Amino acid sequence: MNVPLPGLEPAGIEGYPGPFAVGRYAQELRDRLRRFAKVCLIGEAVNVSVPARGANVWFELRDADGALPCAMWRNEYERAGVELRDGMQVVVAGGCDYYPGGAKASPSFAFRVKELRPAGEGDLLARLERLRRKLAEEGLFEPQKRLPRPALPKRIGVVTAEQGAAKHDFLAALERRGWRGTIVWGYAPVQDRRAAPAIATALRDLAAVGDVEVIVVTRGGGSIADLWAFCDEALCRTVALLPVPVIAAVGHEVDRTLIDDVAAVSCSTPTHAAAEAVRVHCDDARAELRERARRLDRCARAAVLNRARALRLLAREPRHHVDRHARHLHQLARELRAASRRGVRDRTRHLAAPERAATLERLARRIAERRAQALATQAARLRALDPDRTLERGYALAVGPGGEVLSTVEALHRAGRFELRVSDGATPVRVEDSRP
Amino acid sequence: MNEEPLTYETAVRRLEEIIKALDSEQVGLRETLDLTAEGKRLIEFAAGELEAVGKGLEELRLDDLIERLEAAGREPGS
Repeated sequence: MNVPLPGLEPAGIEGYPGPFAVGRYAQELRDRLRRFAKVCLIGEAVNVSVPARGANVWFELRDADGALPCAMWRNEYERAGVELRDGMQVVVAGGCDYYPGGAKASPSFAFRVKELRPAGEGDLLARLERLRRKLAEEGLFEPQKRLPRPALPKRIGVVTAEQGAAKHDFLAALERRGWRGTIVWGYAPVQDRRAAPAIATALRDLAAVGDVEVIVVTRGGGSIADLWAFCDEALCRTVALLPVPVIAAVGHEVDRTLIDDVAAVSCSTPTHAAAEAVRVHCDDARAELRERARRLDRCARAAVLNRARALRLLAREPRHHVDRHARHLHQLARELRAASRRGVRDRTRHLAAPERAATLERLARRIAERRAQALATQAARLRALDPDRTLERGYALAVGPGGEVLSTVEALHRAGRFELRVSDGATPVRVEDSRP
Repeated sequence: MNEEPLTYETAVRRLEEIIKALDSEQVGLRETLDLTAEGKRLIEFAAGELEAVGKGLEELRLDDLIERLEAAGREPGS
């Protein structure tokens, strides 16, 4: 591509080759792009334009990660026999192309589609499987399942098509369960390229402003291509991280979309979703609650009455007990009195003459002994007081001529003569020194 | 009773436990009276929950709710 303009050598920019003529550069670019490998691509056709006149059919091929502008020659489009619509999942075959434009025509890049077919179930299922593995590996199937889900919500959010049959099935099922709370409808398209982002927005809004306790996402059955919006990666990530539990009821039992994996619960039908959203059959629950109230009352009454009866029995018991003992004591007292009378009588009878005499003799002897002991004691006391006992211990007694006891020196001098008594006799004594 | 938040299902579960305990006649009189009082409170709560979803279906549109909130947000002083 290094082709300078003939005859002119205009100044370039330092560090860059050129300048080159843009048209030739554009043609070289086209040639190079056309040499890119021819491939098959799969994605959703959007912004489909099939003009009444014109050589080309235009559309974009998109998925969650990117998009390519596509162009297809009209004759090749017609030969493919596919009526392309927005939102259709398609497989296209072709390669890169570039229209270099011209003096009055704008350039454009496009993937030149040579062949086209609707994406078959196999194509989509393979993509779905890849996405499923990816989200599973990131652990996005679990958060919703860990959220607490009330059995009897008062306010339910529902994301569905406003005119769909699913809405009516869901409402009818709630009515059958006797649930008449509040529903917040988050209407959204459920089948085209607008569906996934609209559903994701409705879910976020319901969680944020709807004040709902559980959200149901539902639509009727269809092909996997019809349900493809519910396999959208961004939508499924939104569901996985939503703080409100989501119940998915998309398609029928055989259809399993990616939202079924990330939601808290996956249901086969809107009716099934209603049963999961309101797990309590309200009419039955009202009757059961009445019965429980009766049982509680019955149990409580029975418990109190049984105890009252037991108490009454217990209250009687002490009186019986005391009465029984009183009777017993009375009996014992009678027996005791009788026994006493018998004992006295017997003893009186047994104390007859000889024995009575012996007893009297024993008593007299005991009295005499006691008296003898008392006399001996008194004699001992008297002996202790006898003056002779004192003289035996070495003392002497002075006795005057009149027999009076001289107890002072003056009395001795006055007497002049006296008798001095000691333990074994007496001797006369004369006072020679008259000085007192 | 543990500390899990009271919901219709926890209330009914506890009520069943209470009735079972009273049926067994293995609880004392004081406990019987306490359990009966608790059971009555639970019945009132559960009845209130059922009444809340029994008055009549109310249908709201999410768009209207959002619009109402946005309007409230625009009101001066709000």
